[in-house]
Amino acid sequence: MSYAYLFKYIIIGDTGVGKSCLLLQFTDKRFQPVHDLTIGVEFGARMITIDNKPIKLQIWDTAGQESFRSITRSYYRGAAGALLVYDITRRETFNHLASWLEDARQHANPNMSIMLIGNKCDLSHRRAVSTEEGEQFAKENGLIFMEASAKTAQNVEEAFIKTAATIYKKIQDGVFDVSNESYGIKVGYGGIQGPSGGRDGNSSQGGGCCS
Amino acid sequence: MHEPELHDLSDDADYAASIQQGSASISQNESRRQSTSNEPDGAEIVYTKDNVTIHPTQYASERISGRLKLIKQGNALFMTWIPYKGQTSNARLSEKDKNLYTIRAVPFTDIRSIRRHTPTLGWQYIIVVMSSGLAFPPLYFYNGGVREFLVTIKQHVSLVRSAEDANVFLVNDFQSPLQRTLSSLELPRAVPVANVSSSTADHSPSSADIERLESDKSSASFNQNSRQRQKNHDPARDLSIQVLEKFSLVTRFARETTSQLFRESHLIDGFNPNEGKKHGQSSASYNHIQSSIDSPKYHDEVSVPSDPIEFDKISLVWGKPRQSPLGQQEWATFLDAEGRVMDSKALIKRIFYGGLEHNLRKEVWTFLLGYHAYDSTYAERDYLMSVKKTEYDTIKKQWQSISPEQAKRFTKFRERKGLIDKDVVRTDRSLSFYDGDDNPNVYLLRDILLTYSFYNFDLGYCQGMSDLLSPILYVMRDESKSFWCFVSLMERLGPNFNRDQSGMHSQLFALSKLVELLDLPLHDYFKQNDCLNYFFCFRWILIQFKREFEYDKTLLLWEVLWTHYLSEHLHLYVCVAILKRYRNKIMGEQMDFDTLLKFINELSGQIDLDATLREAEALCICAGENGEASIPPGTPPSLPLEDASVYPQLDDDVL
Repeated sequence: MSYAYLFKYIIIGDTGVGKSCLLLQFTDKRFQPVHDLTIGVEFGARMITIDNKPIKLQIWDTAGQESFRSITRSYYRGAAGALLVYDITRRETFNHLASWLEDARQHANPNMSIMLIGNKCDLSHRRAVSTEEGEQFAKENGLIFMEASAKTAQNVEEAFIKTAATIYKKIQDGVFDVSNESYGIKVGYGGIQGPSGGRDGNSSQGGGCCS
Repeated sequence: MHEPELHDLSDDADYAASIQQGSASISQNESRRQSTSNEPDGAEIVYTKDNVTIHPTQYASERISGRLKLIKQGNALFMTWIPYKGQTSNARLSEKDKNLYTIRAVPFTDIRSIRRHTPTLGWQYIIVVMSSGLAFPPLYFYNGGVREFLVTIKQHVSLVRSAEDANVFLVNDFQSPLQRTLSSLELPRAVPVANVSSSTADHSPSSADIERLESDKSSASFNQNSRQRQKNHDPARDLSIQVLEKFSLVTRFARETTSQLFRESHLIDGFNPNEGKKHGQSSASYNHIQSSIDSPKYHDEVSVPSDPIEFDKISLVWGKPRQSPLGQQEWATFLDAEGRVMDSKALIKRIFYGGLEHNLRKEVWTFLLGYHAYDSTYAERDYLMSVKKTEYDTIKKQWQSISPEQAKRFTKFRERKGLIDKDVVRTDRSLSFYDGDDNPNVYLLRDILLTYSFYNFDLGYCQGMSDLLSPILYVMRDESKSFWCFVSLMERLGPNFNRDQSGMHSQLFALSKLVELLDLPLHDYFKQNDCLNYFFCFRWILIQFKREFEYDKTLLLWEVLWTHYLSEHLHLYVCVAILKRYRNKIMGEQMDFDTLLKFINELSGQIDLDATLREAEALCICAGENGEASIPPGTPPSLPLEDASVYPQLDDDVL
């Protein structure tokens, strides 16, 4: 399977916010409410297309519990993108975002693109964090933001692809040195050099889905 | 993905060449009357036995049968074993294989010892160990006749029973065994495999290496002067490890011998860094080592094919064959009339090698976990259970009695309960025992974990605990009993869940030391590639390989680990065994940390448990005292040291 680029993603956030479900929805297009909790890390991968170029996403789905943080930190190395996930029905998962962000800033490449995802937006009747609060936090910290639902698949595709598009743009803009793998990007066989147009291919521009 | 081709000396053609070369040099040196036939001129056959068979692989279906002979020529006695022509039990065994294993006129002056193995069940076999240190594969006597074989030898050459082991017969034992052992260790210091750590996919030494090894071997056997040289040189450690690697290149028969040499050099030079340490197993482990040397077959690493599953299938195993699980009838023989286990050591050993039939687990796990004492009677156990049931209910009441109003003001309780609620519905739900909505067993998991978090409030709850409890409840089917068995298990594994991860770090650290001891090139590779934190083994250790094997295999693995038969830390040797199994692939493909982590993760469900256990056992024996010395005292799952309240805190940058 040839690709122009391979991006390493990492999914972080409190336990039970739906990280593994988001991954499964993205890679397998299905929602599996009953799955084993993640110990350490699990992997997923999918090909997407941006600007007519095949891009492979290699996604690291990490364990969320606090006590595993010291292990999780070793996974940031070389990640080009991160999905920072909270659960809109559980306030505390939102409250912990700052500490996740701090970890990411400290252990990841400073150019890593971070997408903030308020998951479980299908459960709006149990909402504990408003969309505005999510937007506000994202704005303050320079993150891209979306609310999504791993259950209904709403915005899942978009979240992953928009992050990829952001990374792709950074490559086009020369922010990333793709020959240096510490940026979390590998150039594949189909790699095409030079800026051939900066527009995002597939990405959706949508923000919150459940406001 | 392109797979690099890997080779090593277990490749048959190379091996055959080395064997032929070796046997040629032996007969040349020995008799000076080179004969082209398999039987020397003017020879008299003094013993012959048909249907003597070797088992080249772990599969009983694959075997090569032949005729064993003792031939007398002048004062010299020779042994031959020639496979029958044209009869192959399995298509995978070629004529080349037969040629490979053929034993052509080996003079008894070159034989160091013969080990006899006469199991009560199964075939008798012998292992012939050369004075060069090499051993032939076990020869199975399908029609019996081991005794007759030994008697015949004794009529012609000096054959004495070893003082150390009644099943070992030393041939021409004029010298002290020490000198022989050390002379056979006369090997160059530069070990080819030690140099490949970071290099390419090609691990096969050149033919010049083979020649050098061969000439080393024969000079060790025949050059009397050289025998003393190495004698004072080295503690056991360096020798053994180098020998281990060295021999594994030369021959697939070597490891067994090596482990024996390793053991002997320990016995002899008394190099025992572990002396002060209490582990109370040393005498038992020597007995064990002795018997494990009997391992009827084992194999060298082979080159790694692209598919790990395929690799497991053809993988060549050493260590003692696994037995069938202990069943009800046999279990009854371990108990006296009042239900005491009469010989707990024998029981432990039996479980170590075979595990338990499932219906016995419920009863026997309570002993293995330390909930019941081996010398307790039925009545005492019943009594204990009823007392403990009451105690459990009392602890459970502590959280059950928390009212919603109180819970509002009890954040820690709410957090714990929330975590546990979330995790029990994500634990083994594909198993019918735990599947479906409102499954009462899922609620039991929750209740036991919550009760435990009150029983051990300091430790509380951490992810991974539900993975450890699930099989216990599945086996016990009783809430209170499961709880107390879980408590016993957590006495040992609790530190895995320390918030500062100190218990995990100390195990990962010990693992790195063991790999350094048992596979230096791999250790160097990890070092160069910034993988020494061994985080890729995190899940293995945290939940005792539960995610790596199918459920029933996990149950078997756990009961084997819980015997603590060879070591309390067998799980670390299991890690080493798995890593060693894939070392060629790891190094050949130049895996970096990320790739390695992904690779290890994806081994889940693809690891052959029996083969891994055998290798872990063999590695544990090989490592011996040095292995135990690599593991800091108090490393889980050892019970906590009396005085030390915490486990050694290791800096992150060290790991």
